[in-house]
Amino acid sequence: MRVFNRVFMILLLAGLFVLGVYMIVYAFDLFGYKLASLPITDLGKGVENFVVGAENGSLSATTIIILILLAILGLIWFIAELKPTAPRRVRMGSGTYVTRTVVEDEVSTVAEQVPDVLGSSVDVKARRSPGAQVDLEARVRRGEDLNTIKSGLQSTVQEYLSEKGLPVSKLNVKLVEADPRQTKTRVQ
Amino acid sequence: MADGIELARAASVAALATEGVHSMGRGRYVEPATYEGSEKVSGVVVGPEDLEIHIVARYPLPRPIPEIAESIRERVAPEAGGRKTTVVVDDLEVADDESL
Repeated sequence: MRVFNRVFMILLLAGLFVLGVYMIVYAFDLFGYKLASLPITDLGKGVENFVVGAENGSLSATTIIILILLAILGLIWFIAELKPTAPRRVRMGSGTYVTRTVVEDEVSTVAEQVPDVLGSSVDVKARRSPGAQVDLEARVRRGEDLNTIKSGLQSTVQEYLSEKGLPVSKLNVKLVEADPRQTKTRVQ
Repeated sequence: MADGIELARAASVAALATEGVHSMGRGRYVEPATYEGSEKVSGVVVGPEDLEIHIVARYPLPRPIPEIAESIRERVAPEAGGRKTTVVVDDLEVADDESL
């Protein structure tokens, strides 16, 4: 959200700056531009008609849909702002943190030591509570018993991480059948 | 009780003397460090109420990371002056194979 807000504010301020420049040019009759030539009265009438239409409840269906969409967008934005950002580091306990890369490296190393695993990719998400959410995708040969490999891999990774003191609050293991010619390791 | 750069220096020495610590962490995007005059101590950030120590752990780990962190905290405690000490493991460094 911070990046989105920054981009939005930059665009908004750039727009205001351009409008300010135009206002100065028109206000001081520079370069042949005159304030009197602006269609301000038309704009004023348009706004007035819109407000009168809203008061009388005679807005067109398209306008109502646009207003509802804007309200929904505003609500989504508001909720997204209230949602706390995910922490960058994995909390281990009182005052100890590890970077997500460390957890990723450890999980990847131990997963690839399992004989049936030919390659892996790991995604670690830090949480506000101690422990990380680990999504492990392991590549195995076609035709293997996936359930056995999955439970074995899950327990091996969990045992290894707890031995090293790396807390994992959730470990998701996904097995993908792959061609050994396209994996990191062909034979274990 | 040390303060500022002295505390950072002491914390760095204590951390490096702890088993399982390879070097001081350099952060990922911003280098954690304490500056005073022309001197800089990398890997330690001294705040008024807290102390942050960034390390690179030696791999394979000689003992669990929480134990390494606790040892560092114990070593630094006499100098920390009651600051809340946070240990951050920035990276792992594979130790050289001495048999090669």
